[in-house]
Amino acid sequence: MSSQTATLDVTGLSKVFRNTGDGIAGGIREANFSLAPGTFFTLLGPSGCGKTTTLRCVAGLEQPDSGAVRLGQETFFDAARGINVPLNLRNIGMVFQSYAIWPHMTVFENVAFPLRVAKGESYEKAEVERLVGEALETVNLAGFQSRSATRLSGGQQQRVALARAIVRKPKLLLLDEPLSNLDAALREDMRNELKRLQKQVGVTTVYVTHDQAEALAMSDLVAVIDQGRMVQMGPPREIYFRPRNAFVAGFVGATNLVHGTVLDRVPANEVGAVRLDDGRVVRCLFPDPTPASRRIAVSVRPETIQLSPASAPERAGFNRMTGTVVFAGFLGNMNRYSLRIGGDVMHANAAPEVNLAEGSEVAIDFSFESAVGIPMADEIAQGRSAA
Amino acid sequence: MIIVLGGLVIPPIAVLTQQSLTEALFDGSRGAFTFEHYERLFADPKLYVSARNSVTFATLSTIFALAFGGIIAWVVERTNAPLRGLAYLTTIISLGMPFILYVLAWLFLLGRAGPLNDFYRNLTGSTDTLFAVHSMAGMVLVETFSWLPLVFLLFSATFRASNAEMEEAARMSGASIIATVWHVSLKLARPAILATALFVFIRSLEAFDVPMLIGTPAGINLLTSDIFFSIRAVPPDLGHASAFSVLLTVVIAILMYFYGRISRSADRYATVTGKGYRPRPFDLGRWRWVGSLLVLLHFAVMLGLPLLGLLWVSVMPFVRPIRFAALPFATLKNYEAVFKVPAYLTLTWHTLVIAAAAATLGMALMVVTGWLVARRKPGATFLDQLTTMPLLLPGIVLGVAMMEIALRSPVPLYGTLAIIVIAFVVRYMPYGMRYAFSGVLQIHRELEEAAGVAGASTLTVLRRIVAPLLSPAIAAGWLFIFLNAAKELSIPILLSGPNTQTMAVAIFEQSTNGQFSELAALGLLWTLLMTVFAVVFYLLMRRQSSSAYR
Repeated sequence: MSSQTATLDVTGLSKVFRNTGDGIAGGIREANFSLAPGTFFTLLGPSGCGKTTTLRCVAGLEQPDSGAVRLGQETFFDAARGINVPLNLRNIGMVFQSYAIWPHMTVFENVAFPLRVAKGESYEKAEVERLVGEALETVNLAGFQSRSATRLSGGQQQRVALARAIVRKPKLLLLDEPLSNLDAALREDMRNELKRLQKQVGVTTVYVTHDQAEALAMSDLVAVIDQGRMVQMGPPREIYFRPRNAFVAGFVGATNLVHGTVLDRVPANEVGAVRLDDGRVVRCLFPDPTPASRRIAVSVRPETIQLSPASAPERAGFNRMTGTVVFAGFLGNMNRYSLRIGGDVMHANAAPEVNLAEGSEVAIDFSFESAVGIPMADEIAQGRSAA
Repeated sequence: MIIVLGGLVIPPIAVLTQQSLTEALFDGSRGAFTFEHYERLFADPKLYVSARNSVTFATLSTIFALAFGGIIAWVVERTNAPLRGLAYLTTIISLGMPFILYVLAWLFLLGRAGPLNDFYRNLTGSTDTLFAVHSMAGMVLVETFSWLPLVFLLFSATFRASNAEMEEAARMSGASIIATVWHVSLKLARPAILATALFVFIRSLEAFDVPMLIGTPAGINLLTSDIFFSIRAVPPDLGHASAFSVLLTVVIAILMYFYGRISRSADRYATVTGKGYRPRPFDLGRWRWVGSLLVLLHFAVMLGLPLLGLLWVSVMPFVRPIRFAALPFATLKNYEAVFKVPAYLTLTWHTLVIAAAAATLGMALMVVTGWLVARRKPGATFLDQLTTMPLLLPGIVLGVAMMEIALRSPVPLYGTLAIIVIAFVVRYMPYGMRYAFSGVLQIHRELEEAAGVAGASTLTVLRRIVAPLLSPAIAAGWLFIFLNAAKELSIPILLSGPNTQTMAVAIFEQSTNGQFSELAALGLLWTLLMTVFAVVFYLLMRRQSSSAYR
């Protein structure tokens, strides 16, 4: 059998849903991505942003308005050339949000179904049994063959759905929020197992989630989608540490945004100086080249802020501000503080043993590289800056 | 409450059983205990002929109604065929049409003088008929039509509530549309299909109007028409009819038991639904027009053709084939007659009063009962069983029982509107209960407890909290009883005296007297009135079910 993986190319993919009255009601516009074989790719965004639409377009459950979808040598969809391969001929594995385990079949029949209905392939009885057995073993459900599908726990249903998706050895695996119906503890286990499984099978995978922790923990590549647009694509660390706009900074992890103006032109990936609106000057990293006098927001992650007594000496390579603790919350694994600095309020996470009383004066330090300058092209930055 | 309900439900069954086991005496006094009626019943070879006819009739009607109704429901709910909305319109309007009118319309359309045979004769020049409507085929055809609205509504609800991801998963696994429908959609719907099939089968066994109007002229007797004839015999053979009724009730009870088991097992297939779930229709591609054609056909047989047929008949001075040559004879005389003859007005008035009284009384009882059962008050289980008991009694059987009660009652009940109302209350008790019970279940118990803590008595809680919150369910249940009581034939035909006829009975009795044209006019106007009620009913149901999912 040929290698169970291939390159997925999606170019200019658009699918817009319209309301009768007020125009656009969701969908995706101009999505582009190319995934090397074996990539674990995550579409991350809030509900209604278009991530599931993108996935369904790749699957063939939805017909795109324009663009093209190719897997390896095969073109699934090309609006310009009028190609649209029916979804049942694409051989893509998919796990649905509700798992969609057919209750009238046993576990074995559920997993064997793709082998039975596949066009142009027919399997001997023994072959079907072997392949189903393999698939169930891969998801750690060996021996469950004759179990009725109605007598499965949520986690087991999920595994059956996975086995069914990989049994025909597809070159592409699509996962639509598969963990969202599980309880928190199980979710973490399944997250690790899903990742292990994907590595083991080596299949190119597209994963849809609104949970940023899932996206960061599992993916090789993450695309953040906001209101139908892919706003940033990159490895998890880049998404987290180098957000390109205020939406990404705010949606992937929590952040503080402080507004200001760039003092001098800064080349890409260098530290530059910013005059904040209250007159103070801080230094932060700029992922993109930025001209002088540009309005920006400085994104400071709460966990990068170090708090010390107001009298502590300044440190090289760190910005220093002073402020007042207005709220202190003890969360067990950490302390969470709200700090008033001039007119702004910033949030900081500190180790549980750091104990600061409300009303006390503190020194606030964060390194130049940990803070990121983000262009304020859009209105979202204005709206979310209060956080 | 137990006493009130028991007083309504138990006597019919008791009276039937007792009557079937006592000697017939003409002075009305009680005779000796005897098995004679049963012996006579089972010894009569006609029983087995009628039984076989009944089973054939019910089986075929069920199969056709399910097949056609199911396909229409699937096309409407799960595909992108154009014109889908028409099916709902068709169904709602046909809910309001007295079924007897339907039968008459089809008798005209398919009858000797009707357009089908007329066309055939013109085409071939023969004097034969292409299709004899007074036959088993004719009966099955018309009975099938009668179940389409119900089958359509039940199935479309099933398809709407089903998880579309189940089907999408099959498509992603490589299955074609046909394979998906066969292996997944149909199999998932199997418990619902079986339950519906059994239900339609039971109700077809109980059917009365089609066997009477279409079967009897052809000499085809069914169990229900046999019961009717032994009552209408001179002298009325009450013992025989009672024994017959008990037999039919036992058969229905057995079937109902299986129905209950099947519909319970349907819950087993309830599945997890994704949060972002939104059913997406199948793309039929080039086959979309086939779907539209089916919807149009549904419209034609359910509404278009019968209404056109009735319209034609209603503007003609007497029944004649549809020809251009006949057009100059068109007249509104029949409509004038409907408004001028006081008997028709009385008829309309009586029917509305009976239906409204039955609906009001029935729902009032069922709201209290439904609340008691839903809140698990003492005696709840027994009350619940009492309310489902009338399901066992076919309309004609309940009619026989009520007639016997009326004849024995010390207060003169026979031939009054009251006895018909009581019979309807009993007959529609299970349905009213279903509306009231599920309505109460949707009201959070704490809303009532809060009122109790605030100092309200139980009655005040019922009146001020439960009843207002329940009002959509009450209204829907009321309209359901009202609509059905207004068109039911089998009960009032046995209970109404000359001065207490209902619309359906009048149409039935006069359909043989050659006043067909006036009846058609009357029927059309009546349908118009009932359609208004049916539309309100449908809108209420929609609102209720949509709020239930929030």
